[in-house]
Amino acid sequence: MRIAVATFALIAAGSLPALAADQVGKAPPTGAYKKVSELVKLPDFLPGLGQLYVDPKTLPAGPFLAYDREGRLVSTVYMLPVEDLSNKDKRFDDLAAPGGDVDHVDVYFNAGHPGVEKPHAHIVLWHVPKADEARVAAK
Amino acid sequence: MRTSYSGMYPRPTKHGLLRNDDVAPTRPADRRGALLAGLAAPRFTLAHESVVIRMQGNSDGSHVWFDPIGLRIEPGQAIRWLNLDPGNSHTATAYHPKYFERPQRIPEGAEPWDSGYLLPDESFFVTLRLEGVYDFYCAPHEHAGMVGRIIVGQPGRSPGDSVSARPASGEPIPEIALRAFPSVDDIMRRGVVRPT
Repeated sequence: MRIAVATFALIAAGSLPALAADQVGKAPPTGAYKKVSELVKLPDFLPGLGQLYVDPKTLPAGPFLAYDREGRLVSTVYMLPVEDLSNKDKRFDDLAAPGGDVDHVDVYFNAGHPGVEKPHAHIVLWHVPKADEARVAAK
Repeated sequence: MRTSYSGMYPRPTKHGLLRNDDVAPTRPADRRGALLAGLAAPRFTLAHESVVIRMQGNSDGSHVWFDPIGLRIEPGQAIRWLNLDPGNSHTATAYHPKYFERPQRIPEGAEPWDSGYLLPDESFFVTLRLEGVYDFYCAPHEHAGMVGRIIVGQPGRSPGDSVSARPASGEPIPEIALRAFPSVDDIMRRGVVRPT
């Protein structure tokens, strides 16, 4: 019996990351995440990114969770101000990564927007194949 | 106000200016912007009288700009800022201590303006009546150099001659924004200066 309980505990522990991913797999994500377009004046759906959610306490870095028009998670995005990246005393440690498996990563400059006004880098962890990036493309 | 154009620059013509009928028809959001702006004091006119400054950005948000970036108009002419960037919000905000304690870069006595955030397809109107040079910026994108300059009638003293980029309090104008302003001479010569 003891062995059975221990086995169950191990299985449960092993599946925790999967459970965490399940909580954010569909919009709206559970927990402290809020829809970005309700926090700041931005379009509800951003072409190239999708519909974004973020825990306001994690701004500006995020993670931002990005969903397609059917509410399926497509990427996790971090927004890191350029001036912070060039500051030797500034670090971004232990950023949450709740989205599960990553297929590929994009990194590019962004000029800014409400919420993250200064120029910053978008680091996009895609949870879908390259071809499925079209799910968040402009219509 | 009677305006003389007997100075060193030719009188501006409507040719070459971006007219309101160049762009999408007026939407309900336009009226909201005009109403809010009216409360902030600048005088507003009908959309068909305005010239348009487009707020634009590329697909990944790495580059944002006003188009035109420099514009010469006649006193009493209305300006309409229109957000044509589908993935971002923009503002048209005058450089003035009244808004965010910024340096004054509009003529003495002119009423400053701040559109607030404009979502895609929203627009905002201001009518400029006092002659001189008016510098403005996009609040979330000033650090990306998204600024513009309007000259109403004759320029008088250039902002660069008469004011500092550093306010008594508040944040100074970033270097990238200062470099982005088209010169007064260029605007007076060309009438419309497009971003390069």
